[in-house]
Amino acid sequence: MDNHFQKEIEELRLKVLEMAAYTEKALVQANQAYAERDTDLAQQVIDNDYAINSLECDIDNLSLKLLALAQPVAQDLRIIVGIMRLIVNLERIGDEAVNIAERSLILAHRPPLSYNPTLEELAKVSLEMLRNALTAFKDEDTDAAQRVCDMDARADELDVSVIKKLIDHMLKESPAIERSVHTILISRSLERIADLSTNIAECVIFIVKGVNIKHRCSRI
Amino acid sequence: MQPAKNVKMYARNLDFYYGDFKALHDVNLDFGENEVTALIGPSGCGKSTFLRCLNRMNDLIPISRVEGAILLDGDDIYAPRVDVVQLRRRVGMVFQKPNPFPKTIFENVAYGLRVNGVRDKQYIAARVEESLQRAALWDEVKDRLHSSALGLSGGQQQRLCIARALAVEPEILLMDEPASALDPIATQKIEELIHILKKNYTIIIVTHSMQQAARVSDITAFFYMGKLIETGETEIMFTRPKNKQTEDYITGRFG
Repeated sequence: MDNHFQKEIEELRLKVLEMAAYTEKALVQANQAYAERDTDLAQQVIDNDYAINSLECDIDNLSLKLLALAQPVAQDLRIIVGIMRLIVNLERIGDEAVNIAERSLILAHRPPLSYNPTLEELAKVSLEMLRNALTAFKDEDTDAAQRVCDMDARADELDVSVIKKLIDHMLKESPAIERSVHTILISRSLERIADLSTNIAECVIFIVKGVNIKHRCSRI
Repeated sequence: MQPAKNVKMYARNLDFYYGDFKALHDVNLDFGENEVTALIGPSGCGKSTFLRCLNRMNDLIPISRVEGAILLDGDDIYAPRVDVVQLRRRVGMVFQKPNPFPKTIFENVAYGLRVNGVRDKQYIAARVEESLQRAALWDEVKDRLHSSALGLSGGQQQRLCIARALAVEPEILLMDEPASALDPIATQKIEELIHILKKNYTIIIVTHSMQQAARVSDITAFFYMGKLIETGETEIMFTRPKNKQTEDYITGRFG
């Protein structure tokens, strides 16, 4: 039978999953707003960011309360500390989705670039990393978390490739510089989202196994 | 990772019986010099029985029996020629409830010395002052050394009992829930004292407070149903214990 404290931990986990759902939705919509030049959808991402921020505050307060009042140890301590780290990354992913939406709003009011760098692959990889990291958290699956960490190099590669291609394009067509810079910033946001998803996966490994693989502090 | 300490005392294959009831099963545990070891576990798990084996306090129970060995500096404390009074001088004890004698503060601390045949008044006075200072009580009682110890607060009485134990210059200090009858401020003083005392003594403490074990000890040993389930560095035991029973106990999921 679960005690009162374990019920509060479960409540905390559910709040994290709720925040995760909002964040994932923000990223899906931001990618769609860019791809389809949909200004209404971009504005919706910007307007809805408050929900993610507000959940971060709620989870932070609840975590702090549990640390102070229940003085947890072992797996209970790790899940609370892990969640406090995880939501910081989740909130930043929300901010990056807002950045993508803001750039998409600007780009939607300009003519499309004659060269289309297709961010689709990078958008797909970063979204997949986020989804897998969140599923790993939900299922406490460290193998899935490790696979997310392993995908990060692919996101870095795609970002570098987009930037290189857009720099070449700017050298050829100076009127495209402003639009290219905005597009590069979207690519950079997607790459950051991949990094932040990797951080979430590292939090999952910490929660489940108690090892810190950040910056190669220790290996599994 | 802390460097390995010198082992001051250790138990090997220790079994303990109250009549036919086997209260301890094959306990093997080392106590490092100048380390604080916390013994934790649910009521009836054998931790206090084990603590009392370490200075043969259980000898006072007629139906009890010990098998296996406990070695202090390499010598078996259960060997036939061991002088138990001398052993208890080396391995002092502080109990759950402060138990000062109905005597003056001074006489409480001097008691052990007098029992051991010390007559030199100057030496006794010096030892009393030093012990009270080590027990962080001197400043509070130096002007009323000849008042009754029973007039002290609970926390002061417990520190007086610690001073009494220190006066005979023990090497190991056993503490059986030393702060469980005290308020949070007195508890904090006892815990601070443990941090200071470990520079000079090896300390073994039984506690029901997980937070206290986490705060004061270097090593934690978890007992359950008379068995030592897991022992290790306190930091590891309270962040990522290896054994599921340990995890369940310290996180309150037991039973």
